[in-house]
Amino acid sequence: MRGYVAVLLVGILVFGAIASGCISSEKPTTPEKVEVSLTGDFVKDVVNIGKALESNGVNEVKFTVWGAGDPNSVMRVYGIVEAAERINKVFNENNINVKIVVDTNYVASFQQLFQDYLSKQPIGQAGDFFVNSYAFIPTLAKEGYILDVTEYAKAYEKELSDFYTPLMEASKWKGKLYGLPQDTEARPLYIRKDVAKCSGFDLTKLEEKVKNGEFTWSDVYAKAKAAKEKGCSEWGLIHRKGSAHPDLIQFIFAFGGTLYDENEDKLVLDVPAVYKWLYVEWKFARDGILPEDIMSWDWAKQIHPAIVSGNTLFDIGGTWYWAEWQTKDYYVDPKTNEPRGLKPEEVDAWFYYTLFPAGEKGQKPVTLSQPFVWMINSKAGAQNPKYDELKDIYQKLAFLMILKASDADINAIHSVISSHLPVRKAAEDLIKDEKWLNDLKNLNIDISSGVKAEIADIVKATVHPINAKFLADVSYMLEYTHLAPSHPKYPALADLFKDAVDKVLRGEMKPEEAVQFLIDRIKADPELSASVKIVGEVPKDWQFP
Amino acid sequence: MLTDVEVRSKKTEVAITIAILMASIPLFLAFSLLVLSSFSKEMMTNLSLESFRFTIENWINVLQGKLAFTGGIRQNILKYTFNTALVALGVAGVVTLISALSGYALSRMNFRGRKFLLMFLLMLHAFPGVALIVGVYLLYRLSLPSSPSLVTTFSFMYVIVARAALEVPMATWLMKGFFDSIPWEIEWSAIVDGASRIRVWRKILLPLIKPGIAAILLFGFLAGWQDLIYVRTFLVEPTLATYIEANLEAEYSHMPLIAAAGTLYLLPTIIFFLTSQKLLLETHSGGIKG
Repeated sequence: MRGYVAVLLVGILVFGAIASGCISSEKPTTPEKVEVSLTGDFVKDVVNIGKALESNGVNEVKFTVWGAGDPNSVMRVYGIVEAAERINKVFNENNINVKIVVDTNYVASFQQLFQDYLSKQPIGQAGDFFVNSYAFIPTLAKEGYILDVTEYAKAYEKELSDFYTPLMEASKWKGKLYGLPQDTEARPLYIRKDVAKCSGFDLTKLEEKVKNGEFTWSDVYAKAKAAKEKGCSEWGLIHRKGSAHPDLIQFIFAFGGTLYDENEDKLVLDVPAVYKWLYVEWKFARDGILPEDIMSWDWAKQIHPAIVSGNTLFDIGGTWYWAEWQTKDYYVDPKTNEPRGLKPEEVDAWFYYTLFPAGEKGQKPVTLSQPFVWMINSKAGAQNPKYDELKDIYQKLAFLMILKASDADINAIHSVISSHLPVRKAAEDLIKDEKWLNDLKNLNIDISSGVKAEIADIVKATVHPINAKFLADVSYMLEYTHLAPSHPKYPALADLFKDAVDKVLRGEMKPEEAVQFLIDRIKADPELSASVKIVGEVPKDWQFP
Repeated sequence: MLTDVEVRSKKTEVAITIAILMASIPLFLAFSLLVLSSFSKEMMTNLSLESFRFTIENWINVLQGKLAFTGGIRQNILKYTFNTALVALGVAGVVTLISALSGYALSRMNFRGRKFLLMFLLMLHAFPGVALIVGVYLLYRLSLPSSPSLVTTFSFMYVIVARAALEVPMATWLMKGFFDSIPWEIEWSAIVDGASRIRVWRKILLPLIKPGIAAILLFGFLAGWQDLIYVRTFLVEPTLATYIEANLEAEYSHMPLIAAAGTLYLLPTIIFFLTSQKLLLETHSGGIKG
């Protein structure tokens, strides 16, 4: 009997729990949606949105911005904070009682932030703004996790025409725009001037020779070997490691290869180009010009100190190195034996920079970019009142915020303090403006006090005419840029490339064996195999250098 | 010669001690390098003390929630510590409550399926939490409140219950051991005097197994404090573990700063183990007589 009573009680409990969720005393009503149209006049649009919010009883709009990167790149989130301040000012000037409040979340690992976004977006807990690599756009767009802003952007075509076209294209997926470019970079080949002088390497007009394809990787090999043999440096070449920053795939493009077939939406294993890349790596390592264990070197204790201390002639790096060498203590001062950052004058005096040379005669020089994009969560504004009615208003306000965050001065500030390249022409012009640069150095600029305080010490450490000149000098590289494929399976292929490079560098495999290793590994993974097209064959009688 | 207790020869004892010390060296060195690095300008990656340059800047920055020495955004490290403690205390509380009740039932009551349940509990303990995560995530999505404002609170409750569920089987076994060690007569006399089962459990038995409860609380706390996968998957708010994970970027991060954060994260574990070593050893050697 007691058993029956227990079962009955449990049954009632379960029914009650289900019923409490299903039965509602109120009939569901469809909220009337409030909408505004974007006109292309920024102030007018902000005012219209502000009035719509105010008339619906919303006086405070909360947004969260998520961003990631190196410590100098905080404008990736502060840009949105500054945009909110500027829009609040417009509200104020037009007697609209609405205020935007922005919360920030900035971490070091952009891959980790992407994972976090993937898990939190479906439950409505991800940032309203997400600043991250363009490479994540296909995955996020496919899942419906980010907002398609194509229609909003049409109203601001004129403003957006100032942005560099390749970067706008990188922010699209299947023809739809999913954000606005935030920054980009190039990956120059750095050359130590003192080591070059010691080894008799004349740098005069080298940049032109690289641009014309006269100076190729065979020349890099010859000069690097000479520098080592003459005892001018310990190494001829140092390059980056890992697969997350796919710098080394520049070799594929430099040898005229490709990585992605747009028509078939497939990754490509371009066998001839990949073989040549691996051969160059193998040859450099076998001749002791490039450390065979570079793929396991420590960034802060080995890679950067080797470059800034002049232990190498060449370095395949990134534009952001320029600021990083000044803000991090990689250099041990021989006078004091204490580590310190380089001075702008030292970086300028010690390093020459040029495009990544052509692989061989007949090919072109290249560089590689990984633009960061300001994306908007498809649930942007969901934390705010009357979301169902005002969804359109919140989303349009979010778009106006990323547009404002792309103001030339905000973009130029970010570029100068982080050594990233500007995404629009107006920002590039500003960087070349000495008066503006001086004002920035003295923090005599029109940005909110909160943002000013947060970036003050970065500004102090990085703003310098030499750094601005560097940015202006390398901006042309974007004309030669390639982008890593924004394909969901690319990270898996990049991991295989990393393994293959490591194996040829260590001498565990010859280049042709490493190519076969890549083919075998691709075929062993059914998903990867379906996503990668293998083209061409290992070239016969190809010579390097 | 026969003795009433097992006695090892001096030589064997020395050999065992040396072997244990040798086996502990890598672990000891790794933790020492971590702690030393947290007070150094440079990360210590080998035994050379040359790279050690004393500074307390890393700790100042970590406590201020700074990711780097220049600029950057301050993270609310106190809040993250509070979140971590909340999860840890929640897990400890839930595990202790459930295991104290179920341990008592399994120790004292004879019901159908008791033996099977005991075996099943052991089997459950063998399941790694990560193997269950897909199913646990599905339940999470199904039970998620529709109002976004409730999600954060719900995520705390969910992660506490989900993480506690992984600890309950072993804790129940341990608790059963503690109850088994209490003579049945003590409980019997109280029941004869008219006390209810629940009253006997609360007023008589629980005070007798206080050391056991403390041990289970401790295990539960450490399980919650150290967890990364469950808090990473379910908790909306960051904890110390997820904060460190998100900022452990080999290229950008100032590693000594991460070492300071790691040491901060380790502190409760070290303190607990140092202060309750005896208790834990006794627990592992088969329960404590109340």
